[in-house]
Amino acid sequence: MAAHRAGDEVITAVIVDDHAAISAGVSAWCAEAAPPIDLIDAGERLADVWTGPGAAADVVIFDLELVPGRPDFGELRRLVHSGRRVVVYSQHTDDATAIKCVDLGALAYLTKREGPEHLVTAIRAAARGEPYTAPSLSGALAADQSPDRPRLSQRETEVLRAWFVSSSKDLVAAKLNITVKTVETYIARVRVKYANVGRAARTKSDLVTRAIDDGVITLAELNQTLDHTEATL
Amino acid sequence: MTDAAGERTGAQLKRGLRIATLLVAVAIAGGLGGANLMRHWDVYEWPVAQVVALAMLAAVLACEAVLLVRRRPWNRLRWAAVAVVLAASALSYATLPDGRTSTTTDWIFGAANWAGFTVLLDRPLRTSAGFLAAHELVALLHLFLFDEPDRQALARFATGSVTVIGFPLCVAVGAAVLRGLSAAATTAQRELERVRVVEAVAAASHRRRQQRFTELSASTIPLLEGFADNSLRPDDPAVQRLCAIEAARMRRLFAETDTVADPLVHELRHCADVADRKGVEVELDTRGQWPTPPVAVRRDLTEPVLTVLATAASRARVTVVGSADLVSVSVVADSGEVDVPDPATPGVLVETLRNDETVWMEVRWQPTAPATR
Repeated sequence: MAAHRAGDEVITAVIVDDHAAISAGVSAWCAEAAPPIDLIDAGERLADVWTGPGAAADVVIFDLELVPGRPDFGELRRLVHSGRRVVVYSQHTDDATAIKCVDLGALAYLTKREGPEHLVTAIRAAARGEPYTAPSLSGALAADQSPDRPRLSQRETEVLRAWFVSSSKDLVAAKLNITVKTVETYIARVRVKYANVGRAARTKSDLVTRAIDDGVITLAELNQTLDHTEATL
Repeated sequence: MTDAAGERTGAQLKRGLRIATLLVAVAIAGGLGGANLMRHWDVYEWPVAQVVALAMLAAVLACEAVLLVRRRPWNRLRWAAVAVVLAASALSYATLPDGRTSTTTDWIFGAANWAGFTVLLDRPLRTSAGFLAAHELVALLHLFLFDEPDRQALARFATGSVTVIGFPLCVAVGAAVLRGLSAAATTAQRELERVRVVEAVAAASHRRRQQRFTELSASTIPLLEGFADNSLRPDDPAVQRLCAIEAARMRRLFAETDTVADPLVHELRHCADVADRKGVEVELDTRGQWPTPPVAVRRDLTEPVLTVLATAASRARVTVVGSADLVSVSVVADSGEVDVPDPATPGVLVETLRNDETVWMEVRWQPTAPATR
């Protein structure tokens, strides 16, 4: 995969979606973004993601339900395993689907109700190999009750819930008396904890490695994510 | 009285009639018939045949007694029993001396009719009538084939027939009437119950309507009075806001009686719809599961939402996050000044955060926690 770095070159993304209106809308958002994002429209042809210009795109925007009612987790897994950075863009709003996508290694999960402010941000983050947690996914993570979920600190859950509710990091920061930067760190830590449990995927191990390098989370804290002990930043 | 009770009463009536009929049949066939048989023992050519006929009737009546004790109907055995009775009748007449039809020697004439009728008691009237006619026909055959009847014998046969056919038929008519009465009573009972339910429902909905009207009168009526006496101007933004709030309250009130899986979200949707109609873009999102709060708590949870929505300029986000022990309803909107009344129920907390043009109001309710702070 081409080693594009954000800031150096224009980000390229490829969108797979069977609805022409969605592709056209996302295209417009990408063109209006500053700096603009170069979007390749693969329509509903998954092959165009693997070959041609789509194969070199930094980010794959993936409609989970190309066939209505049958989310294609298999294709998502193949994309992630071959090192692609995937943003799932789905009509689905149920928590289990969102968490499964994250578990499979998608860097972002957005519902189609979430607009350009989230999608463009998610594409930029994914191009850097970083996760983006939109409010809907944040709500799913905060409400996650599955037995193998990582143990989150009370503060982390509070931040997730507030982000889901307010959809504004400024408001979350004001409500919890912390800085916007701290809000982002808490959300990033949750994603690292999720990346550290369950299936191994290339993007997920990259995520954990980078989080440790950047000091977002320590090895000791990672080992404690399934314990009762809670770490504070 | 319920349907079950009605059926029980009907069954008791039928059982009583069955017992009475069996007792009559035993007394007449066993007592009267048996006594006549003994008294004329010497007259019969084959007294044993008469005893066998009596035993056949006795067997049928014994079966009826057993079934009665076990509270079972005759079912398929019924026609076999009728055949046995008719066979007994035929056997008795075949060995009856000539010229004795419908005399006291002809004991079976007044005995077999009761035995057969007992078996057919719960059948329609025409079945009993058919059997009695068959029994009568056997006697009549004997009269004409063997007796060379004179006027006196015919008169005797006619008067005998009145009791032989008439009495059981009277009981059969009685039974039919009883069945009809029982059915009519059940129908009447059902109708009475239906009317009572309708009345109760009407009374309850009247009470609810009055309650709702009382609730509205505190906030809506002053507004309407203000319009009536021109003290409130419809083009005043503050008045418009009050109207939007009242409209949302009414919508919520109407939605409260709907039967839905999640009343809280249902009511929030109705509140959001009012804002939606004036062009505010409202997102409604929920996460988690929560117990259904009582109406009073739901009003406290939705009141801040409808107040903020009434003043939202262009967009609003309404969310419910819940679990078994916490329900949190939030509204984030670009609203101006909002003034939310304090929650009426203890245990409901409202938090307001203002950031530039955006207001974030959160209402929390803890279902299991004691109502103290």
